[in-house]
Amino acid sequence: MSETPASPSPANPEKAAPPTELPVGPYGQFLSEHGIPSKRLPDSTGVETIEVEPAQLEVTLKRLRNSEEIALDYLVAVSGVDNTDTFDSVYHLWSYSDPNKELVVKVRIPKASVAAEQLPEVPSVTPFWSAANWHERESYDLVGIRYVGHPYLRRILNPWDWEGYPLRRDYKQPVDSLNDKNPHSFR
Amino acid sequence: MSESIEHKTMGIQGANTDASDLPHELKDTITLTTLDKAIDFLSTYVVPLAPIAKWARSNSVWPLTFGTSCCAIEMMSVGMSAFDISRFGSEVFRATPRQADLIITAGTITRKMAPALITLYEQLPEPKYVIAMGACTVTGGMFNDSYSVVQGVDRIIPVDVYLPGCPPRPEGILDALLKLQQKIRTESLIMQRKRAYNQRAVRYVDYDTGKPIDAVKDLVQQAKLELESN
Repeated sequence: MSETPASPSPANPEKAAPPTELPVGPYGQFLSEHGIPSKRLPDSTGVETIEVEPAQLEVTLKRLRNSEEIALDYLVAVSGVDNTDTFDSVYHLWSYSDPNKELVVKVRIPKASVAAEQLPEVPSVTPFWSAANWHERESYDLVGIRYVGHPYLRRILNPWDWEGYPLRRDYKQPVDSLNDKNPHSFR
Repeated sequence: MSESIEHKTMGIQGANTDASDLPHELKDTITLTTLDKAIDFLSTYVVPLAPIAKWARSNSVWPLTFGTSCCAIEMMSVGMSAFDISRFGSEVFRATPRQADLIITAGTITRKMAPALITLYEQLPEPKYVIAMGACTVTGGMFNDSYSVVQGVDRIIPVDVYLPGCPPRPEGILDALLKLQQKIRTESLIMQRKRAYNQRAVRYVDYDTGKPIDAVKDLVQQAKLELESN
């Protein structure tokens, strides 16, 4: 969607670096200047990707949006990812004033920290950034991330009484008369 | 035409159907127009007139304006002047199922859409026909084995003509329409009765929950057992 690769420059210094020793990017530098710890993550498209703690998410996004020099004032998308050992909530930021500015902020919840029958919890950004409203509902619907503080967190794409979260890795749909094609498939 | 349409409740008279089994809203939605009743009578009891009645009926198949994705673009195209479905008497796309004879299921039918499609189908006056248009509604298509897509619309409603393609060309729709007209003209009385019976038996998805009716039946049974045990 908005994840268009940056300019087709052949050399990408961040990509060549080993993932454990990524240099702090300009946005990570800006955040650490304002007392917000963040961690640089590897990326594939040359867009700076940082990870912040769930408790720091609201401060981070507000700071990035409101500062005049950064001005990442457009929340492109909020998406949820089910990785093998974490649940990620991913925020794509962009700037109206400078289209070359892009940033990806991730919040990662380890699966080990989520109790059984519980959903991973991430603070909602909808109260101060209403663009996230339906995106967070979609992420809740398909991946099953509970956004604490969301004003109306209910399913948006699936029927209201859907059981389970279809885009999770361990999702198994029961076979019924609408789909009994292949009972041994990945479903 | 619209004035002559009467919504009359026809009792369920199929030989193998027990009317008490069917829910109330289904009884109310089975309708026959006066004209159709006259055609039925003529074609049943006045044998020489039957071909004329069938000819008239097959050349005035009115489709419902129903499209859920890209197949609908081809369906719009077939109504335009380049392909001109009105050559075959089907140019009148009706916006309400009460005035239509045919559903062209143009597009993917998701599980969320399935109850709405069944409602539309049950609101069509008899005789009613279905063309399953596009790979998605024939077999599930590229959404094969997907969690959210009904794997073939014939799992919900009975289908008369299958039209594969992704999406089919407008000529394909015309061909399917001609096949349907041929079917209407040549259908025997026994086949008509059989089709009508199948149409009345449509109730595979529950309205309220959107789930297959078997699962809901199990839930109801379970609830009854719990009530009795308490």
